[in-house]
Amino acid sequence: MSTSSSSRLYGSIQLRRNRGLAGLYLVVAAFLVLYALLFPGILSIGGFSKFTQNWFPLALVTMAQALLMLNGGITLAIGPLVSLGAVIAATTMEGALGVPGGILAVSLAGLSIGAVIGAIVTYLRLPAIIVTLAGSFIIGGVALILLPRPGGFIPDWLSTMLAGHTPVAFLLLVVILLLWKAFLATPLGLGIYAAGDNPVGAFRSGVPVERVKVAAFALSGLLAALTGLFVAAQTGSGDPVIGTPFTLNSIAAAVLGGVGFLGGKGTMRGAICGSLLLSVMINVMFFLGFPPVAQYVAQGLIIVGAVAVPELLGQWRARR
Amino acid sequence: MTEERPLLEARQVFRGFFGNPVLKGVDIALLPGRVHALLGENGAGKSTLINLLSGALQPDGGSILVDGKPVGRFSPAAARAAGIAVVQQELSLTASLSIAENIGLGAFPRRFGFIDYRALHRGVSDVCDMVGLTEPLDMPVADLALGRRQMVEIAKALFRKPRVLILDEPTSSLSAHEAGILARLIETLKDRGTALLYISHRLNEVQALCSHVTVLKDGLVTADQSLSGIDGEGLVRLMVGRETGDLFPPRSVTAPGAMRINVEGFSAGMVRDIDFSARAGEIVGIGGLVGQGQEDLLLGLYGAIPAAASRAEVSGKPALPAHVGEANAAGIVYVPADRKHEGLVLPHSIASNLILPSLGRLASRGLRDRPAENGLVADLARRLTIKGDTARPVQALSGGNQQKVALAKWLPLDPSVLLLNDPTRGVDIETKREIYLMLRAFAAEGRLVILASSDTPELVHLCDRVVVLREGRVAAALSQDEISEGAIVGAAMGITAMTQGEAA
Repeated sequence: MSTSSSSRLYGSIQLRRNRGLAGLYLVVAAFLVLYALLFPGILSIGGFSKFTQNWFPLALVTMAQALLMLNGGITLAIGPLVSLGAVIAATTMEGALGVPGGILAVSLAGLSIGAVIGAIVTYLRLPAIIVTLAGSFIIGGVALILLPRPGGFIPDWLSTMLAGHTPVAFLLLVVILLLWKAFLATPLGLGIYAAGDNPVGAFRSGVPVERVKVAAFALSGLLAALTGLFVAAQTGSGDPVIGTPFTLNSIAAAVLGGVGFLGGKGTMRGAICGSLLLSVMINVMFFLGFPPVAQYVAQGLIIVGAVAVPELLGQWRARR
Repeated sequence: MTEERPLLEARQVFRGFFGNPVLKGVDIALLPGRVHALLGENGAGKSTLINLLSGALQPDGGSILVDGKPVGRFSPAAARAAGIAVVQQELSLTASLSIAENIGLGAFPRRFGFIDYRALHRGVSDVCDMVGLTEPLDMPVADLALGRRQMVEIAKALFRKPRVLILDEPTSSLSAHEAGILARLIETLKDRGTALLYISHRLNEVQALCSHVTVLKDGLVTADQSLSGIDGEGLVRLMVGRETGDLFPPRSVTAPGAMRINVEGFSAGMVRDIDFSARAGEIVGIGGLVGQGQEDLLLGLYGAIPAAASRAEVSGKPALPAHVGEANAAGIVYVPADRKHEGLVLPHSIASNLILPSLGRLASRGLRDRPAENGLVADLARRLTIKGDTARPVQALSGGNQQKVALAKWLPLDPSVLLLNDPTRGVDIETKREIYLMLRAFAAEGRLVILASSDTPELVHLCDRVVVLREGRVAAALSQDEISEGAIVGAAMGITAMTQGEAA
């Protein structure tokens, strides 16, 4: 056995979790190289900043989705939560508490809505897909009541900071990923995996499965609402329906990243790569002048392929 | 022996599921330094008792005591805090996490709120040494074979430094070598004063390791005594024997008719290379512990799973049915054990469930024939004494009456062979009697009834012949006077001497 110190145990566990992702890393790298060849602008600070700003919201909502999928759930309320986050940001930042108050309001809204949805799913034992579908209508409706048409106010300096010519968004993503790593090194964080893969076993092992589930929904809500804040800063105003495409894109990106639907299978790093891949693909097709319809079709085919190829490879290996 | 205080105790615990009592006032006391065996047939309530003792379930009545003091609301976390650990039969592991993380799960050493991987590494290395796990601790559990996962499960229990260790069938997936390690481990723990509860169907292990036994039967304790001086036959005797009253109809006296099923070298699923034959007018029971291939035998004969035989004759045809449609056409029907999922469409009415298999036959020119259907439903409801409105949804019926519907729907096809998988599981005693009468009547009409059952008295008193499966092979084939609870349980557990001893 090679592990002799604690950091080695933690480190080697982390290394092992890359297993099975090599193919994905290669594909992502290939797409990035292709992108850089097509659009060398990405290699400048400004180009890199713009590129990561385009990717950042998708990365965040993919984390919000993957968090729940790893826990054996799913959410269809991502998009409306993004919209609500944008609307709240755009309506509170001109208030007395300014930008900090706005960030606080968005965070609290995301956390509490997520926790309520999680509590309903967990304690009433209702299917997550139905509860979050219902939740998505309600949240979307509330966003439209708060701000019936795009508007509100986002300070210019915030827009410039988050979506200007500096890679602040990328640095924020790094910070969020580090926070996720730290969270995964707590009993609660690992509990998300355990409760997703084998809920009965986790419960019998003493994992507070119900609390873990509610926490997962709350964190997911927080991430989605903060995505809304970023999107509002990016566009300079609150738009009550801007989040809509994120619901299905978050699922697509998580699936591309190898996160399974049945819980416990997959990794957050895979999901992040999935979101990067999806983001690059959308950009490449857009810049190559694909008509939007063709983009959607291609996107769908690529996602089905991404799920089918490992499956077919596995069957092929099993036959040999 | 000194009078020691039990570390963990259950007093007069009751527990039921969906109105079905499983434990009816059970006492058990685990003393330090003693290996206590818990025995009982399938469905006797062993797993439920373990779940109560480990906080995974709450008792409906009675109390759980730790160190002589009753505990209030018991949870798995509270049980762990009290020093109780369980090696589950169904593993509690998370496939994508590493061995180390799995062992620590629910009991992680912490530092500033984070998992202390250094302390985890130390503790996990210790317990892995104890159970002989040499795999790298960072390896995901998904990469381990079943037996190794079981060892991880055992290491996980040890990691909690238990004062009370409950082992639920720990050896069922272990190799002989691993089982030997476990046996030595149990000796060590016993000497250290750990209280152990050992559940196993392998009676030789029980005899070798345990010094005290509690026997459960139908949710009641039928024996709570020292094991000294009791041999394998004595253990089996403790587990069987009960008043059957007039639950069962008398056996038929007529000789069985023509050969309906005769297979040689038959394999399907778990079933490996067995010979099996049955004649018209017989009720043939398939016995054995849970999951020894009983269901696969039935499904293989029904054409529902791939099956092969070196020679086969089924309902006059020289081959096994290739698929379910062919089996149905040959007059073979199957009633699954899981009637809620496989046997019935629960939200639909009794009537529509009853006519489902006959829909095609009753239709004329592609259209449903309502009058014929109604007549059929009325006839079936009368024959099966299904009371009340047949327009009610099936899920409104009791388990027993649901089973009657699941059986009755096949009758219009006039089946010559009925394959029944545990038809009386979760069925109340009155309906059981009705079902037994029905099956007897089927046999008397010249049909062949093949019945897999986890209920030993049912095999003994209802069946003309009993085939006991063990690990996919025939452990015993008993007929008429040879059939006894002792013989069936003995064969199911691999004690062959019992087949003569108890029957005489």
